[in-house]
Amino acid sequence: MQTAAAIKNNEMPDALLNQSGEALGVAQVTADHTPTYWVAAKDLHQVMRGLKPQFPMLYDLFGIDERHRTQRPGQPAADFSVVYHLLSFTDKGDIRIKVALIEPGSVPTLVDLWPAANWYEREAWDMFGIIFDGHPNLRRILLPPLWEGHALRKEHPARATEMEPFAMSEELLDAEQEALLFKPEEWGMARESDETEFMFLNLGPNHPSVHGVFRIALQLDGEVVVDAVPDIGYHHRGAEKMGERQTWHSYIPYTDRIDYLGGVMNNLPYVMAIEQMAGIEVPDRAKVIRIMLSELFRISSHLVFYGTFAQDVGQMSPVFYMFADRERLFGIIEAITGGRMHPAWFRIGGVAQDLPVGWDRMVREFIDAMPARLDHYDKMAMQNSILKQRTVGIGKYNTREAIEWGVTGPGLRATGMEWDLRKARPYGGYDQFDFEVPTAQGGDCYDRAVVRIEEIRQSLKIIRQCVDNMPEGPYKSEHRLTTPPPKDRTLQDIETLIHHFLNVSWGPVIPAGESACMVEATKGLNSYHLVSDGGTTSYRTRIRTPSFPHLQMIPLISRGLMIPDLIAIIASIDFVMADVDR
Amino acid sequence: MSNPESAELLPFIVYFCAVVLLVATMLILSWLLGQRRQNKSTNMPFESGVLSVGSSQIRLSVEFYLIAIFFVIFDLETVFIFAWAIAFFELGWYGFFAILVFILVLTVALIYEWRSGALDWGVKTRTGIGES
Amino acid sequence: MSVGATIVFSLVLLLAIVGGAAVLTWFERRLLGIWQDRYGPNRLGPFGILQVLADMLKLLTKHDWVPPFSDKVVFIFAPTAIVVAMMLGFAVVPFSPELYILDINIGLLFFLGMTSLAVYSVLLGGLASNNKYALLGGLRSAAQMVSYEVFMGLSLMGVVMLTGSFSLRDIVEAQRDGWYCIPQALGLYVFIIAGIAESHRLPFDLPEAEHELTAGFHTEYGGMKFTMFMLGEYCGLILLSCMITTLFFGGWLGPVLPPIVWFCLKTFFFICFFILLRAAIPRPRYDQLMSLGWKVMLPLTLINLVATGAIALWMQGA
Repeated sequence: MQTAAAIKNNEMPDALLNQSGEALGVAQVTADHTPTYWVAAKDLHQVMRGLKPQFPMLYDLFGIDERHRTQRPGQPAADFSVVYHLLSFTDKGDIRIKVALIEPGSVPTLVDLWPAANWYEREAWDMFGIIFDGHPNLRRILLPPLWEGHALRKEHPARATEMEPFAMSEELLDAEQEALLFKPEEWGMARESDETEFMFLNLGPNHPSVHGVFRIALQLDGEVVVDAVPDIGYHHRGAEKMGERQTWHSYIPYTDRIDYLGGVMNNLPYVMAIEQMAGIEVPDRAKVIRIMLSELFRISSHLVFYGTFAQDVGQMSPVFYMFADRERLFGIIEAITGGRMHPAWFRIGGVAQDLPVGWDRMVREFIDAMPARLDHYDKMAMQNSILKQRTVGIGKYNTREAIEWGVTGPGLRATGMEWDLRKARPYGGYDQFDFEVPTAQGGDCYDRAVVRIEEIRQSLKIIRQCVDNMPEGPYKSEHRLTTPPPKDRTLQDIETLIHHFLNVSWGPVIPAGESACMVEATKGLNSYHLVSDGGTTSYRTRIRTPSFPHLQMIPLISRGLMIPDLIAIIASIDFVMADVDR
Repeated sequence: MSNPESAELLPFIVYFCAVVLLVATMLILSWLLGQRRQNKSTNMPFESGVLSVGSSQIRLSVEFYLIAIFFVIFDLETVFIFAWAIAFFELGWYGFFAILVFILVLTVALIYEWRSGALDWGVKTRTGIGES
Repeated sequence: MSVGATIVFSLVLLLAIVGGAAVLTWFERRLLGIWQDRYGPNRLGPFGILQVLADMLKLLTKHDWVPPFSDKVVFIFAPTAIVVAMMLGFAVVPFSPELYILDINIGLLFFLGMTSLAVYSVLLGGLASNNKYALLGGLRSAAQMVSYEVFMGLSLMGVVMLTGSFSLRDIVEAQRDGWYCIPQALGLYVFIIAGIAESHRLPFDLPEAEHELTAGFHTEYGGMKFTMFMLGEYCGLILLSCMITTLFFGGWLGPVLPPIVWFCLKTFFFICFFILLRAAIPRPRYDQLMSLGWKVMLPLTLINLVATGAIALWMQGA
């Protein structure tokens, strides 16, 4: 384990040194070994500007309420902190910058450096009341416009029983509806130009093609999108707040429902982040089982994407074939886990159960049948000339823009960037597998689909390797913080019995610390940043989801196009609103 | 009904009345049988479940009127072709070349519209794409 | 056929069309179901056919709502117009040598006129709703249907030239030596495309385009008035199939079986064709559809006209 002293100033990136070579940052040790530095708010902008060439993507930005935290050795005093997670696509890894705030403090906005910062800063303001100086439009983003207070502050109750029962009266309903009325002037939009009068159209929250409850307020000239304002938050359920009240173990089922098409893929970054903090080494069999199930869910999610993509450009049939395939896949998931869409099957230190007898036959049947079916779909949908006309060259962005806006996953790879976390920084045993990283060059709607479809084939390849080489051994770690702990020896000695009893009834006590773990999820990079204060629950659970920044980019890539193009763009982004709003 | 022509028309008139009667019956029946419900948002226009901003009665871009003009032009021209088609064999080669000239004029008009970009509706790409 | 018998026939025909359109709603869902590895409505009655009845009852008892913000008279008029226009279109169709309502020498023009009226229905429905989605749908329908109108008529002129008559009976009779689908293949192709565009069904359902405009021009319609739009659409589908049969596939002509059976069989074939077309093809964008119309279809019809004329005259001279 590194200590703070071991991170010497001369290891600091140059950007963290001022002209006279003094350090602007204070190092902090985290369980995930990501270099983490505390920086004063006044130096933030300069530091970030210096870091940007090496760490081009603003991967995440969030707040932490530090006021109730007891164990923060060596960290500057703070009521709140703002955490910036920057990503490099080289072997430099990541860097995390933190700013301590004493209430009422403010930090400078980074919108001028990274356009992606816009929504993240709005979210931090929404949740904590942290003010970002110079932000162009610091308003609520996830919570309703009439909400009072800031939900992720510790004084805000996390349980319904701690507050008055909620009731939606007629007056409140009217007021909320009134508050949702789109006011073009607030977004600097004109109502008419010299030539034409603009139409303002609410596309969503209740609309067949916005994949959930999601509104895009459109400024239209005829059918041409002049400007667009995505409005999210309709699906917000306070998943991060819930993380602060559930035990480490009992939060796992909540993660399934973040990207609700990704199933156990969501469990993975969460349990891996805890395992990092607790120092649990996961046995090989559990690793391979995890990878196999995650890849099955990647296929499942991509199949839904494929079908709805075709459907949104008006092709009626493919979605039924793909859902039928997904049913077959869910049959396997059900046989293995007992659940279908949300199995919540990974555990801290392993998985819930061993694989059932005969599992390999089912999986083999599926992966043997799929390639031929994919070829068939390719002919039916992807090679259809109308579908190509509707999607080729539509919704284009290039690699630089993708990185500026925080785009990850297939959306990034479709711009020609061959960067997959599973290859670039293998986690959870992916280094043992042989697969390729599919890319495309155009960065348009069609290419995003091409990349995903090729990823289905690569996932099949990975799953086949899992089936062929499934290691023997335990499916769960022997570590005492494994949850629920192995029960075999509980009836033999009292110590094990006590541990088992406590870990099952209270849940495990995870050592104080911080850890983040990212995975290449179905829709892009998904990570959980967990803060433990040495208790049975998380002190702060930050869920960074890929869909959130992807939606922020919609106006950029849809201006000047028509409504049908916008629908194709929405379909090609592949998001679910639960993944955006959490 | 002594006139044979009107006698031929009679079935059509009956048919026409029957159609109108059917439509009227459908409307009246549904008015009689239909439920009546009234709640807060019943009488609001549907716009994805939120309040509508601005009017839907707006000035529109000129593109839409262009199409209407083209239609008027071309549809009127087709009438002449109809007249030629019906008497095609009687008019023979003479008529054929006459209409050929006419169609050529039409084609030139079409090419002109095409070249002037009037047939390209909203073919725009996104604005402000940066270099990588 | 006597006048009395024709009157009886006209009433029977009306019932047959309405019944046919109703059954077609069920048939379409079953056929799509088979195509898409699923069942479709299969619960009520044999093969689920009573679903038609259940739907009818449901639609009859829906709130007969006229939006207070709409242009009320036009709002009610719009759906009735499409039903009346489409139904009247059937008046000139010769189902067999004896079975027809009206044999006028301008039968084909009458058909074209009736389908043009349907444009008004969709356009007015969209504009009168005073809803933005409906307005966009209405604008699309106006542009699309008006554009395809131009060469829908022109695509049939090849047939008229070969026959020398606008009378649909004459056209069928003239096909005794060979169906026009061979010499007028190009015209048939254009007519089918234009026909789908005119009946605004997927893949050319842009005025409706549920993925883009929620329900397009009929967003504010419900209950019986919505039903009438649907009825009009299905009647249009049947009428279009009837016309393809009549104009290009020899109408009632065929060996052994009675003429009316031949006519129905051929028409049924095209109905199935249109339903399966709906299952297979995605929806082009509005401007692409317009470009296709003006830049491809219109020149094609003109070429067809000139070529037909030249070849026919040359063969006649030879």
